[in-house]
Amino acid sequence: MMKYVLKTIWRHRARTLLTVCGAAVAIFVFGLVTSVQEGLDRLTHGDAFNRSLIVFQENRFCPTSSRLPEDYADRIRPLAGVREVMPIQVWTNNCRASLDIVVFNGADPRQIRAYRPMTLVGGSWQAFESRRDAALVGRSVAQRRDLSVGDQFSIGDVSVHIAGIFRSSVPSEENLIYTSLRFLQYTNSLDAAGLVTQHEVLLTEGADPDRVAAEIDAELRSGTVATRTRRKGAFQAGTLSDLVDLIGFSHWLGYACVGLVLSLVATTTVMSVQDRMKEYAILQVIGARPLGTLRLVLAESTLLCVLGGALGTVAAMILLTFGGYAIGAEGVTIAFRPSTRLVASSLIVSLIVGLLAGLGPAFQVSTIKIVDALRTE
Amino acid sequence: MPVVELQDVCKSFRKGGEIIQPLRHVDLRIESGEFVSLMGPSGTGKSTLLNLVSGIDQVDSGRIVVDGTEVTTLSRSRLADWRARSIGYIFQTHQLIPVLTAYENVELPTLLLKQSATERHRRVDLALEAVGLADRAAHYPRQLSGGQEQRVGIARAIVSHPRVVVADEPTGSLDTDTSEQIQELLQRLNQELDITMLMVTHDADVAAIASRRLLLDHGKLLETDLNEPGKTAAG
Repeated sequence: MMKYVLKTIWRHRARTLLTVCGAAVAIFVFGLVTSVQEGLDRLTHGDAFNRSLIVFQENRFCPTSSRLPEDYADRIRPLAGVREVMPIQVWTNNCRASLDIVVFNGADPRQIRAYRPMTLVGGSWQAFESRRDAALVGRSVAQRRDLSVGDQFSIGDVSVHIAGIFRSSVPSEENLIYTSLRFLQYTNSLDAAGLVTQHEVLLTEGADPDRVAAEIDAELRSGTVATRTRRKGAFQAGTLSDLVDLIGFSHWLGYACVGLVLSLVATTTVMSVQDRMKEYAILQVIGARPLGTLRLVLAESTLLCVLGGALGTVAAMILLTFGGYAIGAEGVTIAFRPSTRLVASSLIVSLIVGLLAGLGPAFQVSTIKIVDALRTE
Repeated sequence: MPVVELQDVCKSFRKGGEIIQPLRHVDLRIESGEFVSLMGPSGTGKSTLLNLVSGIDQVDSGRIVVDGTEVTTLSRSRLADWRARSIGYIFQTHQLIPVLTAYENVELPTLLLKQSATERHRRVDLALEAVGLADRAAHYPRQLSGGQEQRVGIARAIVSHPRVVVADEPTGSLDTDTSEQIQELLQRLNQELDITMLMVTHDADVAAIASRRLLLDHGKLLETDLNEPGKTAAG
């Protein structure tokens, strides 16, 4: 009977095409909105972000305004529960929310290599460690800015030689550019010799992050600059709080897309079924069960929806894969990346919406009064 | 034992504000292999009786047994299963599914019977051959003439080897020549395949091909004498 469903869909090609395209566009937008949400979740709820702390200057937000002594690292390192401390100088071209934010992280190259989850896809560590202005560029930034190994990249007062391009298991890392700490500290506009933006504290197994954070702030209270230490996830969520609200609101856009697909496919299915009420009556006369005709209508609406959903999902995945998009604020970026979960959720939403869209007309067909339907023209 | 048996069947429906009772305490027995035609003026309930026998409409009271099954007590799903097995339905205007080819239209009832592909193909080929349309199997209904479409409808009705075929004005929308070909075909199927047929028609010439003729008049079924068409006897 599937042949009947397929041929029926094919018979009304224009209507099918419009419905599939509409569903594709809506699921495409749904996919993008979901990817933003996923990016935020990864950044704020990932396990890795709960096993490290960020020490930042108290009451400061933008990286350019946090200036901590680099030697705070020596005072943090001996504290119980601390495995390693990574002083990081951050430089960004834009402290406000932006879709093309460029964030430099200056740190000790040995620590970058040891503690950052990255794999070089071009260039070499040797080139990075041997040259003062060398930089390792995240894959997404390289894609977005069309950068290759060996290029010179300048933005504001910062000019770096690209020694490598890396990919990372943490998508937001791929939106960063790493340089050596010394290079970034001595950049003209920063003038930060002996100072860093933040210290990243890696914890030992079993250490209580909140207890260690409190101890760090207590230890540094007597220093020249007061600090506020938080889990990295919480720090990133706090930094992106304005964007978090916006992304929360974008949920509604996602729901609206789902509603749009539902009404679109339901309208098409209702129209299609109304046109063919007699056909369904004939099918029942020759022996199709009411439940069988119900399944035929559901198959039709689901097929339209899943087809559109699949196209929209593929388009969204292509855009996310090759676009390298990210949104960032105050030096923290949310990466929009494709994921298996995203594909699965988009397809499952398409499937469920397809079934829901067909329920009404399917019920109508299955309870049809055969004699009356046969009389319709 | 009769293949079709109606006992004290009543059927009424509302039309506008008026209640019409086309069938009043109707009794009927049709034996296996009989070809019965049912005549009567328009609106007398011929098609209603046909629909009751084929289980697509429900009686107000009475009992209908077809091929050993009491159809008046079955649920919609069971009725559908029973129709797929036991009833072939020939419509006045063929009522083919326009998106399917002649072959696929004929194949539909066999798909519902969950037969093997080999058996399905065998039956469809035989049915199309029986109606003389084996060479038109790949054609869509729009590519066939009215007579050919009706032949496909007939092939669809006989493909599952039903015990009973009901035909509702099968020649009603056809020209004289085509009508005669269809009459001949129905007669041949009745005789060669031993299918019990109940045909509704308002045309006395068409009714004449049946082995037994009935007249529905004011809700009552009357037997018509084959030798003297004007003469009737209460049935």
